[in-house]
Amino acid sequence: MAMATKAAARTEAGGAMSRRKLLGWLSGVSLFGSAVLSAFSNFVFIKPRATYGQPQRFSIGKPEEFPSGARIAMEQKRVCVVREGNKVAAISTTCTHLGCIVGLSDTGFACPCHGSRFDTDGTVTGGPAPKPLPWFKVSLAPNGELEIDKDTQVEPGSYFTV
Amino acid sequence: MRLALAIACFVILIVHGLVFYNQFFHKWQDYQTTYYDQALSMAKTPAEKSSLADKSPRIEQIIVTQFGETRVDRCTTCHIAMDDPRFEKYGHPLKTHSYSTALGDRLVNGKWERRHKFSDFGCTVCHDGQGRGLKPEYSHGEDEYWPEPLLGFMVQANWRKEFQPKLKGKDYLESACAQCHTEENFPGTPTVTEGRKLFFSQNCYGCHKIEGLSDGTLAPDLTEAGKKFKLDYLWESIVDPTANLATSFMPNFHLSDDKVRALVVFLKSRKGLNFAETSLAHYRAQLNAKRPGSESKEEASTPSPAPTLAGPALVAQGEKLLTDHACTACHKLKATDGGIAPDLTYEGLIKDEDWIGDHFKNPRARVPDSIMPSFRFADTEFRAMTAFLVAQHTPPPATAPAEMYKALCQRCHGEKGDGHGPIAWYLDPYPRDLTKAGFINSKSIDRLRHSVKTGVAGTSMPAWGKLLPDDQIDGMLKYVFATFTKDVRVEPRPRKVPETNPVVSNAASIDRGQRTFLDRCAGCHGKKADGKGPNSLDILPRPRNLRNAWFINSVDDRRLFDSISYGVQGTAMPSWVDYGLQTSDIGDLVNFIRSLNPQATRSINARAN
Repeated sequence: MAMATKAAARTEAGGAMSRRKLLGWLSGVSLFGSAVLSAFSNFVFIKPRATYGQPQRFSIGKPEEFPSGARIAMEQKRVCVVREGNKVAAISTTCTHLGCIVGLSDTGFACPCHGSRFDTDGTVTGGPAPKPLPWFKVSLAPNGELEIDKDTQVEPGSYFTV
Repeated sequence: MRLALAIACFVILIVHGLVFYNQFFHKWQDYQTTYYDQALSMAKTPAEKSSLADKSPRIEQIIVTQFGETRVDRCTTCHIAMDDPRFEKYGHPLKTHSYSTALGDRLVNGKWERRHKFSDFGCTVCHDGQGRGLKPEYSHGEDEYWPEPLLGFMVQANWRKEFQPKLKGKDYLESACAQCHTEENFPGTPTVTEGRKLFFSQNCYGCHKIEGLSDGTLAPDLTEAGKKFKLDYLWESIVDPTANLATSFMPNFHLSDDKVRALVVFLKSRKGLNFAETSLAHYRAQLNAKRPGSESKEEASTPSPAPTLAGPALVAQGEKLLTDHACTACHKLKATDGGIAPDLTYEGLIKDEDWIGDHFKNPRARVPDSIMPSFRFADTEFRAMTAFLVAQHTPPPATAPAEMYKALCQRCHGEKGDGHGPIAWYLDPYPRDLTKAGFINSKSIDRLRHSVKTGVAGTSMPAWGKLLPDDQIDGMLKYVFATFTKDVRVEPRPRKVPETNPVVSNAASIDRGQRTFLDRCAGCHGKKADGKGPNSLDILPRPRNLRNAWFINSVDDRRLFDSISYGVQGTAMPSWVDYGLQTSDIGDLVNFIRSLNPQATRSINARAN
């Protein structure tokens, strides 16, 4: 009803042109909106919502399972859990060079593929690796288990206090 | 025109918006947001608060790689508080998973520790359902009993409501436990263990196959019963076998509810491939599997008595075994009638110990087309059961022929004498149709009397002569003629056929016989001469199995010649003389048929007679 009066008013004021304009404007905006939404959906769609690899956030067990001074590398999860006193940290074991799994060595970490070497904090000490090994965020889950979030990196040297 | 276009464009925008909303805004995000908000309000330390503040909704998944095929469980995306003990009072999905000592959870320092950690085992291991689904309809399906384990309480048209209370309970979870805890007698799964025992003690294994456990071929393969069937279907099939398949001849075992439940749980745990193994590991295990025969024999022989048991004790033991092994689920014994297999009440009179013993070990050794499974009992058990059957030698009381027909003949030959008795369906060859005057009146009284008196070898027709005096047999024949055959009986004159086969049996003759057989007879009697030719299904009585050595060796050349030359009246067997077969051709055929049946059986047969 309102639209009809509006349209009628338009017709009186500016004739058919303004009604045409309004409709054209409406169609244009709708189509443009649809296009934007589609494009946006496509972009969002490109990023997978879930991958088939190991989950990025996972719990590794109770803090008691990691005695002080422990350096335990978890092959599957690609992370090394370090505990010193009541401080816990998780260091990536994926080589920053070409993604091999680095192993534990006396001086820290050593990559078997191209001989990159890292110290106990993951800083590069030799070989082709361009960057130090990242540290991941550790937190305590409500069920009392330590949780590592590989999506969140923290500054090397920042420990989680149990 | 422009208005229409504008409206169309607007509709497109709306649809796009809806699709976008649907695809990128999820219920589980709301759940997770709620959870984080709640957890934040419960958080005590700043570290905890900050770590919660960082978290944003995302798909949580547990990838189980430690055993079997890799499983992806995204259940914790919605059920995110599963392992957070603070949420015990909340409703689903934000509810703590209960702790259970039965599953091995322990209370340490006031805190529960799970034996089966979700991060190691996932969820679908116990709960079933579809781990990757992110919407209830995908992950839970339409299960009625959620959040009980999703064992297939599906809403379905033929869902038997009266079973509903019986299908719920902790016992059913054991079927999921048994997926990994496959060892026999695992203490955590007593119901599965009991079901497995019942599967053997109730003789299910005789007919049903379960890979690695049994090799029965009569009944459906139950290797993947747990995957294929829902609980109500399994329950229904056990308590009422004909409910879903009218032609099913599975006996009703009349088990108590507890036993049915144990069997259902056991069957539900049979899913072919266990969670605990990959398909390759499964195949390897199959190769190395110890044969179930030896296993069950060992098991069975432990409780059975020393073989020195003799006399009445052995008979009593046999009777107990007969009951324990549910023989009367098929057979008739005195008052109990399973309605599938022959009457055993007079077995001791009809058969001798050799026959019963042989037949026990391999029923087809004596009745070549028998459907009775070869059960794997211990020798001592067979001996006891044989002793019991041999001891069944009380003859039936002498009564009028009509009564006697009802008591002895009707189970196979039927109330109307047409051969469609209640158990006829399970007999091969099919019982004779006594109403067919064409057949009955074309056979001499001696021949008919002989069949009744000595039985028909290799079939289920017993030798009634061992139970009944001659005059009663004659009375019975007269009764049959008068009641069923009805036509006026004119004793047939013996036909002119050679007494013994005039054609000498040699390779050439057998070869000629075989060629004639394949040309003329194979259509009904089958290429293998087993009576299962392409036309056989349209014919009743069915064509004779010519490889039934017990039968073939029990008939003389004269009868074979008679049947081939002049046909068998009242059946589909034509008179081959009319189709141009000469005596020599028939002689070749007889030689061919005889060559198919080992003579060893024949001599045993002769001795037995």
